[in-house]
Amino acid sequence: MARLTDIATVIRSKNAGPLTLSFDLMFPTDAAFEAAKRAPTLQPAALARLYNVAPAEVIVTPYQAARAIKIAMPRAIVSGSPGDHDVYGAQQHVPLLDLEI
Amino acid sequence: MSAVKALLARKPTVLKVLSASGQLGYGIPEQALAAGLAREPDFIGCDMGSVDPGPVYLGSGEMATSPSITKRDLAAVLIGARKLNVPLIIGTAGTAGAAPHLEATLDMIREIAREHSLHFRLATIRSDLTATRVGQALAAGELKALGGNLPVTQTDLDACANLVGQIGCAPFERALALEPDVIIAGRACDTAVFASLPKMMGFDMANVMHMAKIIECTSICCEPGGRDAMLATLDAKGFSLESMNPARRATPLSVAAHSLYEQADPISFTEPDGTLKVDAARYTALDERRTHVTGATWQSATRTTIKVEGSALVGHRAVLLAGTADPRFIAQLRPILATVEQTTRGLVAGDYEIYPRLYGLDGVALWTQAPGPQAAREVFILIEIIARAPDLAMAAAKTFKQFLLHQGFSGRQCTGGNIAFPFTPPELVGGPAYRFAAYHVMPADDHEQLFPVSIEQI
Repeated sequence: MARLTDIATVIRSKNAGPLTLSFDLMFPTDAAFEAAKRAPTLQPAALARLYNVAPAEVIVTPYQAARAIKIAMPRAIVSGSPGDHDVYGAQQHVPLLDLEI
Repeated sequence: MSAVKALLARKPTVLKVLSASGQLGYGIPEQALAAGLAREPDFIGCDMGSVDPGPVYLGSGEMATSPSITKRDLAAVLIGARKLNVPLIIGTAGTAGAAPHLEATLDMIREIAREHSLHFRLATIRSDLTATRVGQALAAGELKALGGNLPVTQTDLDACANLVGQIGCAPFERALALEPDVIIAGRACDTAVFASLPKMMGFDMANVMHMAKIIECTSICCEPGGRDAMLATLDAKGFSLESMNPARRATPLSVAAHSLYEQADPISFTEPDGTLKVDAARYTALDERRTHVTGATWQSATRTTIKVEGSALVGHRAVLLAGTADPRFIAQLRPILATVEQTTRGLVAGDYEIYPRLYGLDGVALWTQAPGPQAAREVFILIEIIARAPDLAMAAAKTFKQFLLHQGFSGRQCTGGNIAFPFTPPELVGGPAYRFAAYHVMPADDHEQLFPVSIEQI
């Protein structure tokens, strides 16, 4: 079992608009990309638990041309509203680093 | 002959598009811009805004960028475009593109023109919406939150300090029909800035939109990514991409990967004028630094939709900053903060919200933390207070500070004080606080009336 941080070249998060948090995972090889696509830890149900959102609200889209996986989910707090922790959403990728693939 | 008229008369079959800035006002890298201008582009586009920096700029009417750097950037692209007599198109003026941002940008443009004796035809596109117009969509059940949950009422819309619609190509085409040299638009789709002119010239819309989608962020689509000017060359089959900084390489993988950037869906992009799909796109290396792109598809919209952005005042912010390294204080920090909040509310009456962030524990996380004790050597405590009146927010911050400093707790040995202040005063005025009250999509069959275009001779 490898950790995501060991097999991906990019693990990043960023808002896709103030209501949506999006994550990009990019891989150096087709093998790593395929392994990540199959990993139970990167399915909507597991990601929903990690970020405390409903599984139906998590969308996982692989994009072969970029050997990348896109994850999108609603933000718990609208970007920049009182009590927000991360206006750009750029530091929400951290719990993904140690996921087992 | 105006720059737009000259270009439309010339009808080049290969079109060179220079993206000078992905967010004008932070400092356009000079060397790459000069290299781009030396390539004699057919037109120059710049994006000047974003929702990324949060609701404050749309709400307050202020720019996120500093006036001096903004003016410097505007001067660089304006002088460059006038020297070549090519169109200059700038979208989302002044960070958020509402009336005050547009006015401030136009003031700078006129000032630069005076200082450099520039003369040109300037077209302006306004993108402000009224709460009444957006309310019609709400009442008709046609106002949909974009990508998440944001319930909205007519009261929320009425409370917006500024409401804007993000314009697509159509208003730009109306502005281009006035044959200007320069177009400054309010809130605009980044793509429309780069797509409108080639669309009008008859280039294939799928290639045009795909090109626009990629170059609006300048050299972010490169390896390594950066903020240097980017040149796209549209041809009969597709388009090629080249960074104007020789150190940045546009590779098939780096360009394809850009489809993911700040998007919820990396394959399908809905714009006011239609939907772009890139699942069948092909990316071919021309050499080490240039990639040619073909194969995206475009479906024109049957009905124009417009994204609505609104920002409403929620109060005034005061912020308390303090650190701590005492292990017993850190271990009991959460109940201590609850007690201090209770004491503060007992002493400072009024309506205010208190939002602590504990850096070192969970100040950054929006995710679910693993349960159990957390060890931190130091914790940075940020207390955000939002009240109707700035004085009330500050009163609560000052009282909170003093009671946090001296709050007793079990096993306390640090009776000199619980927290370390990096400077004084440790309570700072945060200014007016806003929230996005609208981030929705609505149909806009009346878009020609919604977004007026005007022209002036400078």
